[in-house]
Amino acid sequence: MNWLNWLSDFFTAPDHRSGPDSILHRVSEHLLLSGEALLYAALLAVPLGLLIGYTGRGVTVVTAFAGAARALPTLGLVTLAVLLAGVGDTAVLVPLVALAAPPLLVAAVEGVRGTDPDVRDAARGIGLTHPQVLRQVCLPSAAPTLLAGFRTATVQVIATATVAAYVGLGGLGRYVIDGLATRKYAVTVGGALLVVLLAVAAQLFFALLARFALPPGMRAQRRAR
Amino acid sequence: MIRFEGAGKRHPDGTVAVEGLDLEVPTGRITVLVGPSGCGKTTLLRMVNRMVEPTSGRVLLDGTDVAKLEPAKLRRGIGYVIQQAGLFPHRKVIDNIATVPYLLGWDRKKARARAAELLELVGLAPETAKRYPFQLSGGQQQRVGVARALAADPPVLLMDEPFSAVDPVVRAGLQEELLRLQSELHKTVLFVTHDIEEAVRLGDQVVVLREHGRIAQLADPHTLLTTPADDGVAAFLGRDRGLRGLGLRPARAVELRPVSDGLTYGGWELALDDERRPIGWIDRDAVTAELHAAAGFRPDTDTLRTALDAAVLSASGVAVALDADGRATGTASREAVLAALRPEADRTGGAADSDVADSGEADSADEPDRASQADGADGG
Repeated sequence: MNWLNWLSDFFTAPDHRSGPDSILHRVSEHLLLSGEALLYAALLAVPLGLLIGYTGRGVTVVTAFAGAARALPTLGLVTLAVLLAGVGDTAVLVPLVALAAPPLLVAAVEGVRGTDPDVRDAARGIGLTHPQVLRQVCLPSAAPTLLAGFRTATVQVIATATVAAYVGLGGLGRYVIDGLATRKYAVTVGGALLVVLLAVAAQLFFALLARFALPPGMRAQRRAR
Repeated sequence: MIRFEGAGKRHPDGTVAVEGLDLEVPTGRITVLVGPSGCGKTTLLRMVNRMVEPTSGRVLLDGTDVAKLEPAKLRRGIGYVIQQAGLFPHRKVIDNIATVPYLLGWDRKKARARAAELLELVGLAPETAKRYPFQLSGGQQQRVGVARALAADPPVLLMDEPFSAVDPVVRAGLQEELLRLQSELHKTVLFVTHDIEEAVRLGDQVVVLREHGRIAQLADPHTLLTTPADDGVAAFLGRDRGLRGLGLRPARAVELRPVSDGLTYGGWELALDDERRPIGWIDRDAVTAELHAAAGFRPDTDTLRTALDAAVLSASGVAVALDADGRATGTASREAVLAALRPEADRTGGAADSDVADSGEADSADEPDRASQADGADGG
């Protein structure tokens, strides 16, 4: 069982237990980078998506754009960003945001559009202003969809944040790329495994969030569907 | 009072929803807009709270053109109930009801206390407060919808087919409840329905609409049923107009024969138990003392329709008048029940106000009576 030895080698190597190349450090680098990308993507896509979903204007454009954005090659974007902005966080953040924004945008649009039209009508009819309808009615109603969007985006970003190493930055991609470069395949496999574990953990986190943090009325509705 | 002055709605594509309507919706009364789908009734209702802006004419609320008022503020002062209730799924019932008080800036405690009052007013159990809308039946949701509309005690209530989505039994209960509420609250209600039965049951005044919001007839329910303006309205009213009209007239107009005059009617004798409750009719010519059905009505709360029904169902052709405890207080034959239909009988029964032909006065005499009818049914 060769790969088991590889793994134990990977996890027990002194470099990987402390210092800049330690697993803990690389994981935290990876998570920080992913978190940053998700934050920017959310700040960009969610308000825009809520607005588009609420007004119903530009929905077709958003759908087409989001579909097209999925076809963008991340590695190509990284290269482009490096050429334009030089090596640095920006070079990695741009493609990661570009990756995370479309699912968030679509989730926000669809979530708001999924609000029961009768509920929206009643909300307007009893005197909520447009911003109040959006915040008090459409946002809670969009929460389950939005959360699903965040889950997709997070998993994709965590998986793809390995490209940071490609332009000389940290994160778990370091193990993958360095491992390949130095033919230490145990390191590559170990790094890849950690990425998988992180992605699975993120999935779990969002599943729990959907289970416990959503407004109860919304949770039950989802179950009933 | 709500006043429509040539209020019309033409859609941007040129189709006309409402041509231009003049109508007064009197304060403290229920006005029902009824008509087939596409007659513009919902459009008209939504003009009042500016959910629809008229393209011609105007709508006045207590003399003020609603177009001059800020929509959100205007709407907070008008109760609004729609067909599917439109409750907020993520909020508990109590917070759904308290929505408008919250918007008006009431503190949480006061708003919730008010919401709890309303929960009781619309006949829901206190423990309903903590539920979510999806945990309620359709009828319960609609009650919450009504409670939410009444939370800030608006003088005007707009109801857009509020009871159309529930089954007939629940609907009848909700209608009774609305009449009971109205007898306490005296709101200015504009009610939209496609169900003529509902219209004549609830309305103090019924507006029958044709396509493009043209008024086919405006009348109190009794006049509508007895004298439809034309064949179109008659067809819309449907069959058994006369009989249904009986359902609008109080049974107390029936002149009763006191029980003290004896319990025999022709060949029939009414058998009573120790509490003077009727047991049945006995055919005095029959060999065996077999009991035949004896149907009764309550003169204080029932309508002529129930009284006639009781007379028809009784083997002897005589209906028994009952008090609240089911004790016989008198009898009325079919002839006696029908005699109450003569205009002068109405007066001796004290149901309608002397010779005031004007619908306004006649309506007010009608109102407390129908309210007590709802009370009676509620208790039973």
